[in-house]
Amino acid sequence: MASATASLSTHRERGTGHARRATQDAPWVKWTLLTIALLFVGFFLVMPLAAVFTEAFRRGAGAYFAAFSDADALAAIKLTLITAAIAVPANLVFGVAASWAIAKFNFRGKSLLITLIDLPFAVSPVISGLIYVLVFGAQGWYGQYLNADEPWFPWLQQWLIEQDFRIIFAVPGIVLATIFVTFPFVARELIPLMQSQGTDEEMAAITLGASGWQTFWRVTLPNIKWGLFYGVILCNARAMGEFGAVSVVSGHIRGETNTMPLHVEILYNEYNFVAAFAVASLLALLALVTLALKSLVEWRHTQSLRSENSES
Amino acid sequence: MSIHASGIVKTFGQYTALAGVDFHAPSGKLVALLGPSGSGKTTLLRILAGLEFADPGSGRVLFNNEDVTSVPAGKRGVGFVFQHYALFRHMTVFDNVAFGLRVRSRRERPSDAKITERVRELLRLVQLDGLEKRFPTQLSGGQRQRVALARALAVEPKVLLLDEPFGALDAKVRKDLRRWLRKFHDEIHITTVFVTHDQEEALEIADEVVIMNQAKVEQVGTPQDVYDRPATPFVHRFLGNVNILRDTSAWGRTGPIHDNGRLGSDGLIYVRPHDIEVVPHGSDSQGIPAVLRYIHAAGPQAQLTFEVIATGEHVEAHITRSGLAELNLKPNDLALLKLRPSHSFQDYTI
Repeated sequence: MASATASLSTHRERGTGHARRATQDAPWVKWTLLTIALLFVGFFLVMPLAAVFTEAFRRGAGAYFAAFSDADALAAIKLTLITAAIAVPANLVFGVAASWAIAKFNFRGKSLLITLIDLPFAVSPVISGLIYVLVFGAQGWYGQYLNADEPWFPWLQQWLIEQDFRIIFAVPGIVLATIFVTFPFVARELIPLMQSQGTDEEMAAITLGASGWQTFWRVTLPNIKWGLFYGVILCNARAMGEFGAVSVVSGHIRGETNTMPLHVEILYNEYNFVAAFAVASLLALLALVTLALKSLVEWRHTQSLRSENSES
Repeated sequence: MSIHASGIVKTFGQYTALAGVDFHAPSGKLVALLGPSGSGKTTLLRILAGLEFADPGSGRVLFNNEDVTSVPAGKRGVGFVFQHYALFRHMTVFDNVAFGLRVRSRRERPSDAKITERVRELLRLVQLDGLEKRFPTQLSGGQRQRVALARALAVEPKVLLLDEPFGALDAKVRKDLRRWLRKFHDEIHITTVFVTHDQEEALEIADEVVIMNQAKVEQVGTPQDVYDRPATPFVHRFLGNVNILRDTSAWGRTGPIHDNGRLGSDGLIYVRPHDIEVVPHGSDSQGIPAVLRYIHAAGPQAQLTFEVIATGEHVEAHITRSGLAELNLKPNDLALLKLRPSHSFQDYTI
């Protein structure tokens, strides 16, 4: 019996070595498709990326690093970091809260909430910026409030005027626009994950006497950590790289309201190519790091999923 | 700790999951909640656990005469084992079992050494010692089930509630584990309620069976009670195979039709296949003539399907294989069918 199966399997191996399987395409199909895909990727992704770095280093490393010692460039980098440092945690908290609500509870208007979370993906970034200009600009509701004779909460108006607190063409507007644009990333990542995990473990924790907080920190969070991390990486990449919405609300004040993408544009328009590409290379680097982290997280995630499935 | 629930109503929107259900689990007994899917058994279990609340004003849940109707799950002192175990997937077996002790407030929390001791003791009890460091994914279904049980027992619950405890296991493990659970229950004597849709499981290990159908309780009794004297046509149909016969007068001449509640409230006769007697054609005047259509003899007994000549009804009879050999029947042979006089508890009134 054993020898029979052995000879059978060697026969089968020999068979596949020569003839292709019935369900496989002819080799030329495979190679044509591969070539098209590789050409496409090379032309649209690899070449531009390479161009960024060659242009940045065209006048040597000295000129490249000189671009970063410029005060305006440093201010742009700082502002980008500040914006991301506010927008990412804000959307982290919102994303976890929203996906928790959607995945673990049933309520009226749930599908509406899911649709609304996707809204920033559907709206052009320029429009998102414009919305904030209309609401918070000098002619918008906020401007009207500051100029109102008999406002609600007069002390608030007083304080805002004293502080000269401006939203549009200032840092708060940039942060708001960035939050809006990066709104869906964390929630989109978590909702399907939490839905597939269900509520059994949380309920088990509750029957064992755990409080809501204990259940969240000890059961829910550890279960979603990779999905959460992935969402945060994507959210951060977009927060640092956002151009359209930020461009509308920023006002392009050098050294004050310029983020890195806006700074790149200004430098480029001034024909300062080396500096423009040098700053751009930082953003490109960020993208590469993001991709590396993303693959790492995905790999870890599938590893943990696989170990779950293989044993069950 | 006994459990008493009375007049429980639970609706989800338009859907009625429980329509005024009474339930009683005597202290220290193993009670099965048996019913087809959608009968409301799991909902009832979750209401007993405090994971759901009955509709406001509808009924009460008492633990040892203490009203717990509006006490939430975490404070009821119940151990709940979920259908798919709901083990914390990122924690080791040890951490899973220790969870209920570790989340206690500082004042009530035992010391780490005490927790370790208690967890080891529980794992020994469920025969999983040595597996403390494994993760749930590295365990078999039966092992996971026992981890879930140990985890539920760690908080020293007053009652143990199990939702389809063997539902996700394969047939062999299922059988072993349910016998193990029975033995285990005999050792720890904690009031236990388990939900199942498998009658064999319920009848084999429970002290008492509560049969539910369409949001209501159909019958309550010991396994023998409900099997031998089903109270309603539903219970007849649900507990094992049953022949449903229309011709009351003809069958009435062949044997007792009132035994064991055979005559249902709907005017039909409900007879189990092993209560149909098969005799050779021509040997007796009273039998109902029928043609043998199929024989299925791959098992401990022979399962015969007959077609009654007069009505065309199909009747299933289970007889011993030696009985079949004696009769020497082959498909398309004629035979006579009779109702077997009931052999159990004839002097026993319901």
